[in-house]
Amino acid sequence: MMSNAATHAYLNTRVAVMATRLFDPDTIGQLSQMQLPELAERFGLAALLDEQLSARTRGRAIEQTLIQVLLAELQVLVRPMPATERAVVLAWGRKYALFNLKTLIRGKLYALDQQEIRDSLFDLPTIIDPPDQELLRAENVPELLRQLEAGPHRLIARQAREAYEQRREPFALEAAIDQRYYAGLARQVMQFYDTNLHPLQQLIGAELDRTALLWLLRFRFSYQFSPSETFYQLVPSMRLLHRARLLTLVNVEDLTGVLAALPPPLDTLLSECRTIIDVQRRMGRHVAHAAQRLLLQSPSAVARALAYLMLREMDLYLLFALIQGRLLNLSTEVVDIALEIIEPTCPWNLAPTGGTAARHRAAAA
Amino acid sequence: MPRPRIMKHVRLLVLTEDLPQASLTLAQTESFHPDTRPPLEPALSGLPGRTYRDTYYQARSRLDKIAKLIAVPEAPMLDPKLDQVRVVEPAELVQLDDWLGQIWQKASGYEEELRRLDDQERLIREQEAALANFQHLQIDLRMLRNKTRFLDFYVGIVPRENLRQLEGAVGLADHLLHVYMQRGDQSHVVIIGPTGTTEAQLSAVLDAADFQPLPIPEGLDDDPQQLRQDLDAQHLANRVRHQSEYERIAEWSAPFLERLVAARRTLMLAEPLVALDPSVRSSGHLVHLAGWVPARAVDDLTARLGQSLALPFDLRVRDPLPTERKLVPTVTTKNRLLEPFAMLVQQYGIPEYGEVDPTPLFAVTFLLMFGSMFGDVGQGAAIAGLAWWLRARLGRFWLFGLMAGLASMVFGFIYGSIFGYEEVLPALWMSPIHDPILMLKIALGYGVVFLTIACLIAIYNRLVIKNWWGALFGHHGIVNLVFYLALVWGGLHLGRGESFGTVPTFLVSTALAALAWYAWRHLEAPLGEKILVVFIETLETVIGYISNTLSFLRIAAFSLNHVALSIAVFTLAGMMGAFGHVVTVILGNVFILVLEGGIVMIQVMRLQYYEGFSRYFAGEGHAFAPLKLRRGSAPS
Repeated sequence: MMSNAATHAYLNTRVAVMATRLFDPDTIGQLSQMQLPELAERFGLAALLDEQLSARTRGRAIEQTLIQVLLAELQVLVRPMPATERAVVLAWGRKYALFNLKTLIRGKLYALDQQEIRDSLFDLPTIIDPPDQELLRAENVPELLRQLEAGPHRLIARQAREAYEQRREPFALEAAIDQRYYAGLARQVMQFYDTNLHPLQQLIGAELDRTALLWLLRFRFSYQFSPSETFYQLVPSMRLLHRARLLTLVNVEDLTGVLAALPPPLDTLLSECRTIIDVQRRMGRHVAHAAQRLLLQSPSAVARALAYLMLREMDLYLLFALIQGRLLNLSTEVVDIALEIIEPTCPWNLAPTGGTAARHRAAAA
Repeated sequence: MPRPRIMKHVRLLVLTEDLPQASLTLAQTESFHPDTRPPLEPALSGLPGRTYRDTYYQARSRLDKIAKLIAVPEAPMLDPKLDQVRVVEPAELVQLDDWLGQIWQKASGYEEELRRLDDQERLIREQEAALANFQHLQIDLRMLRNKTRFLDFYVGIVPRENLRQLEGAVGLADHLLHVYMQRGDQSHVVIIGPTGTTEAQLSAVLDAADFQPLPIPEGLDDDPQQLRQDLDAQHLANRVRHQSEYERIAEWSAPFLERLVAARRTLMLAEPLVALDPSVRSSGHLVHLAGWVPARAVDDLTARLGQSLALPFDLRVRDPLPTERKLVPTVTTKNRLLEPFAMLVQQYGIPEYGEVDPTPLFAVTFLLMFGSMFGDVGQGAAIAGLAWWLRARLGRFWLFGLMAGLASMVFGFIYGSIFGYEEVLPALWMSPIHDPILMLKIALGYGVVFLTIACLIAIYNRLVIKNWWGALFGHHGIVNLVFYLALVWGGLHLGRGESFGTVPTFLVSTALAALAWYAWRHLEAPLGEKILVVFIETLETVIGYISNTLSFLRIAAFSLNHVALSIAVFTLAGMMGAFGHVVTVILGNVFILVLEGGIVMIQVMRLQYYEGFSRYFAGEGHAFAPLKLRRGSAPS
């Protein structure tokens, strides 16, 4: 068993080596010029070149491959970590298991074929996704609901039952899953009491700030939820958007007012934003900067490892956005917007891009 | 030296129609370990068993779910003599799966009804707890039951995890939340606020927070006794409904219970083909199966296939190729006495095919070392007796405890020690404390023999796979052994006060030079780094062998320690009165048994794993797991 110092030296070295894989702006510029064969060769994505498959199937295979790349790196990084550190990194990676859970529940609620549901699930390592074969084998919705009530997901079973019995869109259910994911992540961070605590609070806090703000804006102004309903769906951050602040912000009546009421540095960062998509892009960059800063300067090995994984995830989604753009024959301009090489001139331009969809998905999870 | 069982690779080609029968026959021989590698012929890419496997898993899942609701009896043991072993054709499996699907649909309805009753029961219990709590409050509970003109009341339960967020959310809707009781993971709450516009908002929040209202019954203030009776009546009614639901299920299932037992048996018979699925490939009507079979079972396998398959088949048998060595399974030790030791060996790894199985050597040296380090007739008998007493709990491991205890007893007779008393039993030899230097010399000698045997096995393992260079120059190879024995020889000279000796010096120098030359040739690095690495590796060889030999001194040290601890116990006992003496001796022996016994066990395992296994045992093999037909018990 390695000592703590040895573990951290090993982990820091690993992270430093892996960090060389992150994309810098020049690399992103080069990538944006590449066509599918070049991308396939550079990233070993053989599925891209299989002309017999549909664009959707190829896109799905690529997404699966990229997620596996990310999770393989996660497994390498958690291997030497002590239990608490490992738990926080795995809690972060569990978002992919939740994609599967949502797909599974949605598939069952809409009575999709078992094989179709199975094909839509991501193939994840067991360290992230203890396979829930019982849920998958449920043959009707009441059976699925009973499985949920009896298992570790019993707290979301109520939303699932309502979605089924009242024929509602399972929005509340998916919101509950996401809420529990972020609340669990925040709880994991608060388990620390040593030098890891502050850097992890900075990192996960930045992510929670981003999520809380985006959810607040969407629930309040896109879905027209009441302050009370909106607040219930939010997960307070341990950094800027803590509980008391969220209680104030949900009562503000328009987007500009919310942005003006934000604490520094978010107020200046978002002062020019006019749409939620603007906010999403800037907050995404804000989290990326926080992660980059911690990756370079943090004394905490676990925070550095997690920062690396978060940045790597962003890069892989960027790559996925590019590939989707190429597969769907989207215009260069649209792809460049997705890659954040150029600013959008109109927010609606973003709607059809795979990149935005992918980022949306990452953000929502 | 224990030789591994010779294995053969077999390749079987059968026609698709015969695949279920072939899988059943292979399972009956219990000698076929499937080889999951796809065949080299690209045409053999079909997966003929895949649909069968999927159908089987679905049917088994359905049967398992049904069996949770209906008590399906175990299928009786299969008796091949009564022709109970038969082929389950794909069509029969599909038919069974469909039937189980229909049964499950109906059973699922019953299960849903039971869930609803359970839910009701839980709510009644929560209501009871809430009302018991209210009875102590000095408030008018009728107020909580009805909305007033100005105030809304919600009384109910909410998962504790959602409480804090809910508190903030209801506050935003101008309501107050008060927790009046915590039960398990549920919090009992009262929410109060103004009647009006926020009601709809609050309702959505309460839904999201999984709030469940608990109705306040009429008459709570007027007649608590009556209320208690009402709740008891509700409990009773619920129990009756529960009972009648189970009776309905039993009545409904009675006509097809036998058929469910038969279904369980059919699934057992279908299992072999499912287990074979990863190693079955096909092209058109031709199916390819491959696996490993012990050489002495090949003839029987061929004969049985000949008898059972109706259509022509082709069976090719060959020796494993050198490149396949890591893929060949190893038949592990089956001897009853060695079985617990094999379990300990398997904690480290399973021998590769061709590699010497270290279990017998491990067993002998383990008992020798444990006995010599913990030699006492009384304490050994206590260990053996305890193992025998706990044999039901320890399973196959009890024999390990028994043998360790017996080894301790044998050395107890040699040392003349019983529960630490050295004057009761005449020693067959002497107590270790009488000549510690001799004990240390014996331990050192034992270490030299142990390490030499370990090196010889390492050399043998490499020669078997024709790794000549490895056997000569590799770690613990021939050159290493020459170096080590020459070092021991020279060391003996020094011990006798003589010089190291010319021949030992020559052998040591030549062996080290040869090792350095070999390391130099196999290292690709800049000159400076090469010099450094070769120097360090050579130095490590010298230091490693010396320190590893000295490591065995612990055998003598612990045998002395054992006596010294006994002396300490008796010294303490001598300071007590008669009763105190007895108590001290008993407690002292318990202390020695638990603490020293545990430490000695760890030390022996360390010597085995570190000084022994790390030298000659790769442990990277995998166990022979033949296809078998389960003859009884439910699918797990």
